[in-house]
Amino acid sequence: MYYQEKKTIASIVAGVLVVVIYSIYGIRKYLELGEILLNDMKFWATAILIAIGGGIIVAIIIQIIFHIIFAIANEVAKEVAKEISKKTGNEGKNEAYEEDEITNFEDEMDKLIALKAMRNSYIVVGIGFVIALITLYLKMPPAIMLNISFMAFSLGSLFEGFSQLYFYRKGV
Amino acid sequence: MAKVVISNNIRKLRFYNNEMTQQELAKKTGVTRQTIVAIENCKYSPSLELAFRISDVFKTKLEDVFTCEMIEEKEKKENIK
Repeated sequence: MYYQEKKTIASIVAGVLVVVIYSIYGIRKYLELGEILLNDMKFWATAILIAIGGGIIVAIIIQIIFHIIFAIANEVAKEVAKEISKKTGNEGKNEAYEEDEITNFEDEMDKLIALKAMRNSYIVVGIGFVIALITLYLKMPPAIMLNISFMAFSLGSLFEGFSQLYFYRKGV
Repeated sequence: MAKVVISNNIRKLRFYNNEMTQQELAKKTGVTRQTIVAIENCKYSPSLELAFRISDVFKTKLEDVFTCEMIEEKEKKENIK
Protein backbone atom coordinates (compact mmCIF):
# COMPACT_ATOMS: atom_id res chain seq x y z
CA MET A 1 0.00 0.00 0.00
CA TYR A 2 1.37 3.38 -1.01
CA TYR A 3 1.26 6.85 0.50
CA GLN A 4 -1.75 8.02 -1.57
CA GLU A 5 -3.84 4.98 -0.57
CA LYS A 6 -2.94 5.40 3.12
CA LYS A 7 -3.79 9.10 2.92
CA THR A 8 -7.17 8.24 1.37
CA ILE A 9 -7.85 5.75 4.17
CA ALA A 10 -7.07 8.46 6.74
CA SER A 11 -9.62 10.77 5.03
CA ILE A 12 -12.21 7.97 4.99
CA VAL A 13 -11.67 7.34 8.72
CA ALA A 14 -12.24 11.06 9.42
CA GLY A 15 -15.42 11.03 7.31
CA VAL A 16 -16.77 7.89 9.00
CA LEU A 17 -16.07 9.39 12.44
CA VAL A 18 -18.05 12.55 11.61
CA VAL A 19 -21.02 10.60 10.18
CA VAL A 20 -21.10 8.20 13.15
CA ILE A 21 -20.79 10.95 15.81
CA TYR A 22 -23.44 13.10 14.10
CA SER A 23 -25.82 10.14 13.71
CA ILE A 24 -25.44 9.08 17.35
CA TYR A 25 -25.96 12.68 18.54
CA GLY A 26 -29.00 13.21 16.27
CA ILE A 27 -30.68 9.92 17.20
CA ARG A 28 -30.07 10.45 20.93
CA LYS A 29 -31.51 13.97 20.82
CA TYR A 30 -34.51 12.73 18.81
CA LEU A 31 -35.16 9.96 21.34
CA GLU A 32 -34.85 12.51 24.17
CA LEU A 33 -37.04 15.30 22.77
CA GLY A 34 -39.25 13.42 20.33
CA GLU A 35 -41.30 14.88 17.45
CA ILE A 36 -40.80 18.56 18.53
CA LEU A 37 -37.24 18.32 17.28
CA LEU A 38 -38.42 17.59 13.72
CA ASN A 39 -39.72 21.15 13.37
CA ASP A 40 -36.80 22.81 15.17
CA MET A 41 -34.72 23.84 12.15
CA LYS A 42 -32.37 26.00 14.24
CA PHE A 43 -31.29 22.96 16.26
CA TRP A 44 -30.50 20.93 13.11
CA ALA A 45 -28.75 23.83 11.41
CA THR A 46 -26.55 24.29 14.51
CA ALA A 47 -25.85 20.56 14.72
CA ILE A 48 -24.88 20.39 11.03
CA LEU A 49 -22.67 23.48 11.27
CA ILE A 50 -20.90 21.99 14.30
CA ALA A 51 -20.53 18.68 12.42
CA ILE A 52 -18.95 20.49 9.44
CA GLY A 53 -16.56 22.47 11.67
CA GLY A 54 -15.79 19.41 13.81
CA GLY A 55 -15.27 17.36 10.66
CA ILE A 56 -12.59 19.74 9.42
CA ILE A 57 -10.79 19.66 12.79
CA VAL A 58 -11.04 15.84 13.00
CA ALA A 59 -9.70 15.53 9.42
CA ILE A 60 -6.71 17.78 10.26
CA ILE A 61 -5.92 15.86 13.49
CA ILE A 62 -6.19 12.47 11.73
CA GLN A 63 -3.93 13.66 8.89
CA ILE A 64 -1.31 14.85 11.43
CA ILE A 65 -1.45 11.52 13.31
CA PHE A 66 -1.31 9.64 9.99
CA HIS A 67 1.81 11.53 8.86
CA ILE A 68 3.56 10.86 12.19
CA ILE A 69 2.73 7.12 12.06
CA PHE A 70 3.67 6.96 8.36
CA ALA A 71 7.10 8.53 9.01
CA ILE A 72 7.79 6.17 11.95
CA ALA A 73 6.65 3.07 10.02
CA ASN A 74 8.80 4.09 7.04
CA GLU A 75 11.89 4.44 9.23
CA VAL A 76 11.25 1.06 10.91
CA ALA A 77 10.76 -0.64 7.52
CA LYS A 78 14.01 0.95 6.26
CA GLU A 79 15.95 -0.34 9.28
CA VAL A 80 14.47 -3.83 8.92
CA ALA A 81 15.36 -3.88 5.20
CA LYS A 82 18.94 -2.79 6.04
CA GLU A 83 19.26 -5.56 8.66
CA ILE A 84 17.94 -8.17 6.24
CA SER A 85 20.31 -7.09 3.47
CA LYS A 86 23.23 -7.15 5.96
CA LYS A 87 22.34 -10.70 7.05
CA THR A 88 21.87 -11.95 3.50
CA GLY A 89 25.04 -10.18 2.39
CA ASN A 90 23.12 -8.28 -0.25
CA GLU A 91 24.02 -4.76 0.76
CA GLY A 92 23.62 -1.79 -1.52
CA LYS A 93 20.57 -1.57 -3.75
CA ASN A 94 17.59 -3.33 -2.30
CA GLU A 95 14.71 -3.99 -4.70
CA ALA A 96 12.62 -5.66 -2.00
CA TYR A 97 12.17 -2.37 -0.16
CA GLU A 98 11.77 1.06 -1.62
CA GLU A 99 11.10 4.01 0.63
CA ASP A 100 7.60 5.37 0.17
CA GLU A 101 8.00 9.14 0.24
CA ILE A 102 5.44 11.68 1.35
CA THR A 103 4.46 13.50 -1.84
CA ASN A 104 2.95 16.94 -1.64
CA PHE A 105 1.87 17.11 -5.25
CA GLU A 106 -0.75 15.47 -7.44
CA ASP A 107 0.50 13.88 -10.63
CA GLU A 108 -1.59 13.05 -13.70
CA MET A 109 -2.82 9.71 -12.33
CA ASP A 110 -3.85 11.28 -9.01
CA LYS A 111 -5.77 13.98 -10.89
CA LEU A 112 -7.55 11.45 -13.10
CA ILE A 113 -8.47 9.30 -10.09
CA ALA A 114 -9.68 12.38 -8.18
CA LEU A 115 -11.88 13.38 -11.14
CA LYS A 116 -13.39 9.92 -11.52
CA ALA A 117 -13.97 9.62 -7.77
CA MET A 118 -15.60 13.06 -7.70
CA ARG A 119 -17.95 12.01 -10.51
CA ASN A 120 -19.03 9.01 -8.39
CA SER A 121 -19.45 11.31 -5.39
CA TYR A 122 -21.72 13.64 -7.40
CA ILE A 123 -23.96 10.68 -8.29
CA VAL A 124 -24.44 9.87 -4.57
CA VAL A 125 -25.08 13.54 -3.69
CA GLY A 126 -27.52 13.85 -6.60
CA ILE A 127 -29.49 10.76 -5.57
CA GLY A 128 -29.56 12.00 -1.95
CA PHE A 129 -30.82 15.41 -3.03
CA VAL A 130 -33.63 13.87 -5.11
CA ILE A 131 -34.64 11.69 -2.13
CA ALA A 132 -34.58 14.83 0.07
CA LEU A 133 -36.89 16.62 -2.40
CA ILE A 134 -39.24 13.62 -2.44
CA THR A 135 -39.55 13.81 1.36
CA LEU A 136 -40.65 17.45 1.00
CA TYR A 137 -43.13 16.47 -1.71
CA LEU A 138 -44.54 13.83 0.65
CA LYS A 139 -45.00 16.61 3.24
CA MET A 140 -42.48 15.17 5.69
CA PRO A 141 -40.88 17.60 8.17
CA PRO A 142 -38.11 19.81 6.68
CA ALA A 143 -35.64 18.48 9.28
CA ILE A 144 -35.75 15.14 7.48
CA MET A 145 -34.94 16.85 4.19
CA LEU A 146 -32.06 18.72 5.81
CA ASN A 147 -30.67 15.55 7.40
CA ILE A 148 -30.95 13.55 4.18
CA SER A 149 -29.14 16.35 2.30
CA PHE A 150 -26.35 16.46 4.90
CA MET A 151 -26.04 12.67 4.88
CA ALA A 152 -25.94 12.68 1.07
CA PHE A 153 -22.99 15.08 1.14
CA SER A 154 -21.23 13.09 3.88
CA LEU A 155 -21.83 9.72 2.20
CA GLY A 156 -20.86 11.25 -1.15
CA SER A 157 -17.56 12.31 0.38
CA LEU A 158 -17.04 8.81 1.79
CA PHE A 159 -17.94 7.27 -1.56
CA GLU A 160 -15.34 9.52 -3.16
CA GLY A 161 -12.73 8.14 -0.79
CA PHE A 162 -13.71 4.53 -1.45
CA SER A 163 -13.74 5.17 -5.20
CA GLN A 164 -10.24 6.65 -5.01
CA LEU A 165 -9.06 3.59 -3.09
CA TYR A 166 -10.67 1.30 -5.69
CA PHE A 167 -9.02 3.12 -8.60
CA TYR A 168 -5.62 3.14 -6.88
CA ARG A 169 -5.91 -0.62 -6.33
CA LYS A 170 -7.53 -1.77 -9.56
CA GLY A 171 -6.05 0.82 -11.90
CA VAL A 172 -7.60 3.52 -13.99
CA MET B 1 -13.41 -1.31 -32.60
CA ALA B 2 -10.26 -3.11 -31.64
CA LYS B 3 -9.24 -3.07 -28.00
CA VAL B 4 -5.88 -1.43 -27.43
CA VAL B 5 -3.61 -3.09 -24.91
CA ILE B 6 -0.51 -1.10 -23.99
CA SER B 7 2.36 -2.99 -22.40
CA ASN B 8 5.79 -1.73 -21.44
CA ASN B 9 9.38 -2.69 -20.77
CA ILE B 10 10.00 -0.24 -17.92
CA ARG B 11 10.94 -2.97 -15.43
CA LYS B 12 13.54 -4.37 -17.84
CA LEU B 13 14.84 -0.92 -18.77
CA ARG B 14 15.20 0.04 -15.10
CA PHE B 15 17.25 -3.11 -14.54
CA TYR B 16 19.55 -2.35 -17.47
CA ASN B 17 19.94 1.28 -16.30
CA ASN B 18 22.04 0.52 -13.25
CA GLU B 19 19.07 -1.07 -11.42
CA MET B 20 17.23 2.20 -11.20
CA THR B 21 14.59 2.16 -8.45
CA GLN B 22 10.95 3.07 -9.04
CA GLN B 23 11.43 6.06 -6.73
CA GLU B 24 14.37 7.33 -8.80
CA LEU B 25 12.37 7.00 -12.02
CA ALA B 26 9.40 8.72 -10.38
CA LYS B 27 11.63 11.66 -9.35
CA LYS B 28 13.17 11.96 -12.80
CA THR B 29 9.78 11.98 -14.52
CA GLY B 30 8.01 14.18 -11.95
CA VAL B 31 5.35 11.70 -10.85
CA THR B 32 4.72 9.65 -7.72
CA ARG B 33 6.14 6.17 -7.23
CA GLN B 34 2.62 4.78 -7.23
CA THR B 35 2.10 6.03 -10.79
CA ILE B 36 5.30 4.27 -11.92
CA VAL B 37 4.10 1.06 -10.23
CA ALA B 38 0.69 1.37 -11.92
CA ILE B 39 2.31 1.94 -15.33
CA GLU B 40 4.66 -1.03 -14.85
CA ASN B 41 1.72 -3.26 -13.95
CA CYS B 42 -0.29 -1.98 -16.95
CA LYS B 43 -2.94 -0.56 -14.61
CA TYR B 44 -2.53 2.95 -15.97
CA SER B 45 -1.72 4.22 -19.44
CA PRO B 46 0.42 7.36 -19.12
CA SER B 47 -0.17 10.56 -21.07
CA LEU B 48 1.92 11.09 -24.17
CA GLU B 49 3.98 13.69 -22.29
CA LEU B 50 4.83 11.30 -19.46
CA ALA B 51 5.52 8.47 -21.92
CA PHE B 52 8.07 10.69 -23.71
CA ARG B 53 9.59 11.73 -20.39
CA ILE B 54 10.05 8.07 -19.40
CA SER B 55 11.66 7.20 -22.73
CA ASP B 56 13.91 10.26 -22.34
CA VAL B 57 15.11 9.02 -18.93
CA PHE B 58 16.14 5.72 -20.52
CA LYS B 59 17.55 7.53 -23.58
CA THR B 60 15.59 5.29 -25.87
CA LYS B 61 12.76 5.50 -28.41
CA LEU B 62 9.15 5.56 -27.25
CA GLU B 63 8.34 2.30 -29.04
CA ASP B 64 11.15 0.56 -27.14
CA VAL B 65 9.46 1.46 -23.86
CA PHE B 66 5.80 1.02 -24.79
CA THR B 67 4.26 -1.52 -27.11
CA CYS B 68 0.71 -1.44 -28.38
CA GLU B 69 -1.44 -4.43 -29.26
CA MET B 70 -4.80 -4.44 -31.02
CA ILE B 71 -6.63 -7.44 -29.59
CA GLU B 72 -9.60 -7.73 -31.99
CA GLU B 73 -7.47 -7.59 -35.11
CA LYS B 74 -5.19 -10.28 -33.74
CA GLU B 75 -8.16 -12.53 -33.04
CA LYS B 76 -9.48 -11.92 -36.55
CA LYS B 77 -6.12 -12.90 -38.02
CA GLU B 78 -6.13 -16.11 -35.98
CA ASN B 79 -9.62 -16.92 -37.26
CA ILE B 80 -8.53 -16.42 -40.88
CA LYS B 81 -5.64 -18.85 -40.35
